[in-house]
Amino acid sequence: MASLFQQSMPSTGPGYSFASAPTHHSSSGPRQHAFYPYTDNGGSTLGISGATFTILAGDTRSTSGYNINSRYAPKLFRIGGDGPENEGARIVLSVVGFAADGNALKERLDTMVKMYRYQHGKEISVHACAQRLSHILYGKRFFPYYVTAILGGLDDEGKGALYSYDPVGSYEREQCRAAGAASSLIMPFLDNQVNLKNQYDPASGEGLEKVMRVPEPLPQETVEQLVRDAFTSAVERHIEVGDGLQMMIITKEGVQETFTPLKKD
Amino acid sequence: MFIARSEYDRGINTFSPEGRLFQVEYSLEAIKLGSTAIGVSTSSGVVLGVEKRITSSLLETSSVEKIVEIDRHIGCAMSGLQADARSMIEHARVTSQSHEFHYNERLGVESCTQAICDLALRFGEGAEGEESIMSRPFGVALLIAGFDEEGPSLYHAEPSGTFYRYDAKAIGSGSEGAQAELQNEFHKSLTLDEAEVMVLKTLKQVMEEKLDSKNVQLASVTKEKGFRIYGDEEMEGVVGRLEGN
Amino acid sequence: MDALVAQYSQPSHSAQDTTLDDSLALSSKIAPPLSLNFELPPIDSHSAWLRAMTDDHSNPQCPIKIAHGTTTLAFRFKGGIIVATDSRATAGNWIASQTVKKVIEINSCLLGTMAGGAADCQYWLAYLGMMCRLHELRHKRRISVAAASKILANLVYSYKGMGLSMGTMCAGVTPTEGPALYYVDNDGTRLAGNMFCVGSGQTFAYGVLDAEYKYEMEEDEALELGKRSILAATHRDAFSGGFINLYHVKEEGWVKHGFMDTNPIFWKTKLEKGEFSNVTSKLE
Repeated sequence: MASLFQQSMPSTGPGYSFASAPTHHSSSGPRQHAFYPYTDNGGSTLGISGATFTILAGDTRSTSGYNINSRYAPKLFRIGGDGPENEGARIVLSVVGFAADGNALKERLDTMVKMYRYQHGKEISVHACAQRLSHILYGKRFFPYYVTAILGGLDDEGKGALYSYDPVGSYEREQCRAAGAASSLIMPFLDNQVNLKNQYDPASGEGLEKVMRVPEPLPQETVEQLVRDAFTSAVERHIEVGDGLQMMIITKEGVQETFTPLKKD
Repeated sequence: MFIARSEYDRGINTFSPEGRLFQVEYSLEAIKLGSTAIGVSTSSGVVLGVEKRITSSLLETSSVEKIVEIDRHIGCAMSGLQADARSMIEHARVTSQSHEFHYNERLGVESCTQAICDLALRFGEGAEGEESIMSRPFGVALLIAGFDEEGPSLYHAEPSGTFYRYDAKAIGSGSEGAQAELQNEFHKSLTLDEAEVMVLKTLKQVMEEKLDSKNVQLASVTKEKGFRIYGDEEMEGVVGRLEGN
Repeated sequence: MDALVAQYSQPSHSAQDTTLDDSLALSSKIAPPLSLNFELPPIDSHSAWLRAMTDDHSNPQCPIKIAHGTTTLAFRFKGGIIVATDSRATAGNWIASQTVKKVIEINSCLLGTMAGGAADCQYWLAYLGMMCRLHELRHKRRISVAAASKILANLVYSYKGMGLSMGTMCAGVTPTEGPALYYVDNDGTRLAGNMFCVGSGQTFAYGVLDAEYKYEMEEDEALELGKRSILAATHRDAFSGGFINLYHVKEEGWVKHGFMDTNPIFWKTKLEKGEFSNVTSKLE
């Protein structure tokens, strides 16, 4: 909300409609709430889409406060498909934040995607699944899932499709997105390497003549290497990230899963 | 007039000893009293046609509505008790819009038909979880025409809740004669223009009044234009193409 | 309305056998109905709890940071309506995205804008799009902008105090109304007007718009003014930035006039028109 309204102009425009927002919080120290149903389980996820594939990745560490409770708690889930292992799935969901909420969200989306197949006799498209996920998240607008979700798959034309979400369901299709504890470390790296932000063609001259470099879809090997670099770097600088890197690569052949060890300290 | 077949024909959710639900069967009879409606499916789209029974010269013909839009890509023609169709169509429209809201894509034609048929059996006392909404079965049959990613398709939905897909189908009072005619005339390589004429020609044969551009109504569903009810000029054009008119 | 409020102000768990009800709730959501059943936390004061969890205005340490949208404007002129927005979404101080589409295409003739909670705006404007389409099917004519904005206003009013955050404008041209512009926010306010700016950068946008606005503008002047007003807001408001999203609503429908990076536009405006001369540059 601070984004919308500065402290100096609380009454203009649409504000939070809680009539009496408390203003004493800064003086009374950290506030205690009796009902706190969330735990931040740390970790980070990231997704990059290419011309014919989408890669989602997440570390596998699960933390609670400063404790590491598990070194292998996956954050990536196949959605749809058959059987307990969801074989043949073409959509992958990654969730980071509170793992219990993430699991509940995954189960719910998975059920809906499977029901969609039974009801409509066809596989759900990623863009339909993306809208559905948004509405599942929004269905808990007043008791949110404590998660940041990224959904990956291939669109109707076979191009990589990646959708990123906020906890209550606003979403956007993007080329790349990092989420979770180390998102502020990884996202600038992706802006630079994938979206080529603030990079200009050196041959294009000075001042207004400068021409921005146009981002092109990257080849799969490059993206895989970027993902590994992003995570090995994040592990160096963030305590909640580490142990293992789980990657799911969605191509027209299906979902291929890889695991790369990360530092365990 | 029907003579009551047995005491079982009064309970709407009681089977007769022969295993029949008479009220549902009677509802099928109600459709045979309705005006004729025809649908023909071609590779480029589906044509729907209905006869409007103009019972009085004082009747405003445009107020006789027997073809309605469900969504941009789905339309339907009806025969039987018009008023019953309203709630089915409202349900189909809401289902279609709700699907688009939740999935950001158009509802499939079969799924739409299924949604309508799910409604058809919600009469009687109401089963667990589902509230009953009617005290009797619907007295109307629908021809549902649509275009989705599978291409054009035509469905026939009955008050019994069953539905089938057809290449060409006639319902209503003239359905028997019209269906036989369609059986003879239909072939897979029909164009949309030919189908328009074929629908009118078939209607002409089963209608009591002389067919003109005011007492019939055509509509089509194509990939490019979606569902579209023909305007007066277009109707005159198609009627003009009909031989001997 | 009162029934709606009562429905949502009951704790959802109060009379609940959790296991059974949850599975029922889930099965009813598989085939999504049109009813709007939102889950509520199992406590009495949900809005206070939700504020503690998500409102980074009153509690910067809140755990769930919701993405917010920022400077949006729309004004009427003789050639229709111009709608312009920035594209930055922030969650706290973090820029969550620089490429948000804050103009929401409700249908081919109606546009909505997004300020406040991104999810609230996205969801409810999509919902509005559905209601408008149903209105169109039921009444065989396009919905008026007045009616559309009223649907939205009534809707958010029924959630008043629950914590929705949205400031939106509905812009459209219909045969009965001509160009029509309405402002609707989460309090339930609904205003018709010639010109609105909404969001944290609104004051800066108003500054430019009030100075230069004339109803009798030509189309290209109006588009330029919309763009320039957003540029001013992105320059002075930290929560605005990214790209300028520009639309023109006409009788035949809306036309998109680009999703333009602010940075080159800023330097062009400065160097070619001599504006922003307080910004020093040694670009020769």
